[in-house]
Amino acid sequence: MSKSNSNRLFRPETLTALGVIATAAAFLIPTSYLKPISALLPGAMLIGMIALSLIQLVADQRASSAGEEPKPMTAAPKRVLGAFLLIVCYALATDFVGFYVSTAVAVPLVAYVFGYRSLPGLALATIIVVGAIYLIFDFGMAQTFPSGRLWQS
Amino acid sequence: MYGDLFDALPHVLGLYNFVALVIGVIAGIVVGAMPGLSATMAISVLVPFTFGLEPLVALGLMAGVYNGAMYGGAIPAVLLRIPGTPAAVATTFDGYPMAQKGQGGFALQVAVVSSAIGGIVSAFALMLLAPPLSKVTLLFGPSEVFWVAVFGLASIIFLLGGNPVKGLISACFGVFVSVIGADPISGADRYTFDHLELLDGISIVILLVGLYALPPVIDLLEVPLKTDQVSDSKLGTEPIWKALPRMFRFWKTWIRSSLIGVWIGILPGAGGSMAAFMSYNEARRASKTPETWGNGEPEGVAASETANNADTASALIPALTLGIPGTAVAAVMLGGLLIHGLQPGPMLFRESPTIVFGFMWQFLFGAILLVLLGGSLATNSFAKLLNLPRPLLGSVIIVLMLIGVYSINGRMFDVYLMLGFGAIGYVMDKLKFPLPPVVLGLILGSYAEENLRLALRIGRGDWTILFQNTTSLVLVALTVAVVFGPSVKRRFFKKSEEEAKE
Repeated sequence: MSKSNSNRLFRPETLTALGVIATAAAFLIPTSYLKPISALLPGAMLIGMIALSLIQLVADQRASSAGEEPKPMTAAPKRVLGAFLLIVCYALATDFVGFYVSTAVAVPLVAYVFGYRSLPGLALATIIVVGAIYLIFDFGMAQTFPSGRLWQS
Repeated sequence: MYGDLFDALPHVLGLYNFVALVIGVIAGIVVGAMPGLSATMAISVLVPFTFGLEPLVALGLMAGVYNGAMYGGAIPAVLLRIPGTPAAVATTFDGYPMAQKGQGGFALQVAVVSSAIGGIVSAFALMLLAPPLSKVTLLFGPSEVFWVAVFGLASIIFLLGGNPVKGLISACFGVFVSVIGADPISGADRYTFDHLELLDGISIVILLVGLYALPPVIDLLEVPLKTDQVSDSKLGTEPIWKALPRMFRFWKTWIRSSLIGVWIGILPGAGGSMAAFMSYNEARRASKTPETWGNGEPEGVAASETANNADTASALIPALTLGIPGTAVAAVMLGGLLIHGLQPGPMLFRESPTIVFGFMWQFLFGAILLVLLGGSLATNSFAKLLNLPRPLLGSVIIVLMLIGVYSINGRMFDVYLMLGFGAIGYVMDKLKFPLPPVVLGLILGSYAEENLRLALRIGRGDWTILFQNTTSLVLVALTVAVVFGPSVKRRFFKKSEEEAKE
């Protein structure tokens, strides 16, 4: 396969269309077990997504054949991936280690990694954020946050 | 018809409601002033925090944020030529040149007064037009309600502009998400995969926070915006009451732009930025000195700011009466109503008149409060917010998102679900898939399904019941017009242009 032929499959629009088709097709399997009246709307939507994504796929491939360059999804893919991974890690840490510890680490860490390097500023912001959350939610509204599955077991 | 409107007034004037409105307006101005943060995102993050509040207090906060953010967007637009919200783009045209001349303070005063006027007119439009429209929609049966839902989805897909195929995919996705959970009629599990957390369906708040709050946060962290420091030389310290007489000459622009904003707000799919651009163009066309526009003409700021605030409350006219939001913010607000057990649509006016009419008063008071809270001294302080480090802001919003979503049911499952929707939302945002159809699909999907099935039961399985009365046929015709209208219009204009060239 030539370079241009393999590249045209990795265009963001094409990849998204293929992803939608595969996911919608996978969801059609549990749909087939439903009663016809219950399956009517979800089935129609899934088939609609498959058909529309096929149109999208064909349109993008035609654009590729016409020599149209795909627009990059992001200017800094590593930063985007890093940001998303940090957010996921923060959610996992909250679940397993506990909310307050994770927040006290995540707030300065995210800000530092993404360019805010003033240590006194980071310390002050962390104290204000964690303190305000404790006072408003825990103390004022009796809202409990995850204490960490690791400590529970 | 309007008796309920006046009955609701004493409830709105309660201390908690008023404080909520004040906090909402201030928070809205702060959010609007931050480039990259929008009213839609702010309300999405706010919605889960309003769970424990009285519905009117919660709605007051949302109305305040919406009003405040539409004005707040003008602050960086004037001082840095960076629109805080998309609706403030037209404000940069004359606002920034004014700031360069050292008239930034006056530009912001014109913006705040014009925003308040636009907001007040919009609130009156909502008060006057929504009650009679709700009376008409009370006559709708299941088949009409089904067609209203189809019309709502079609209008937001086809009138929003852009690629209709992507709009349709977004809507299909939203409707599909709406059917996850137990079937409302047979009780059968649909796509729960034995997760008890999914039995009640997916809360709209989880979807809203994921779709509307996560992508802007990632954007904040992706490209840390370097902005000029805001210096006092760009601002003015003149009190607003001294500047007011110099603004009276804009009265024609205020009236014209208010009408444009209200009209655009009512139209499904059109938004504040379209209202601001249209209003700016019309005002320039009507001006005796169009050559001064773009070089620091305060009337330009007045035109765009009046219009982008005049579409706030009016966007809720179709949302409250038919359940069809005119803008993305209105769609998010519908989500806010739903979590308080208020189903938008004709029955809302009958079942919860105090809340729905109180909400309208809050829009009016929110617009008036803008002048008091966004005056010159306050604006100077809000402008300083632009110097806040964006990575720090991003990390704080992430924490707020997690708290908000976790607090709905007190479980981390919802947080993971929100992150999933956030990832989908980010890809959709970058590939220009419109997000409002997803929200509308989620709101209207199950509603449409329930009414379709009810109509079919009434008709004993006969599909022609959907086309058996005049209202249904009118709604079908409107849907067809919305679907094919834009392409016919484009073709017609293309033909006219070609003929003109020949």
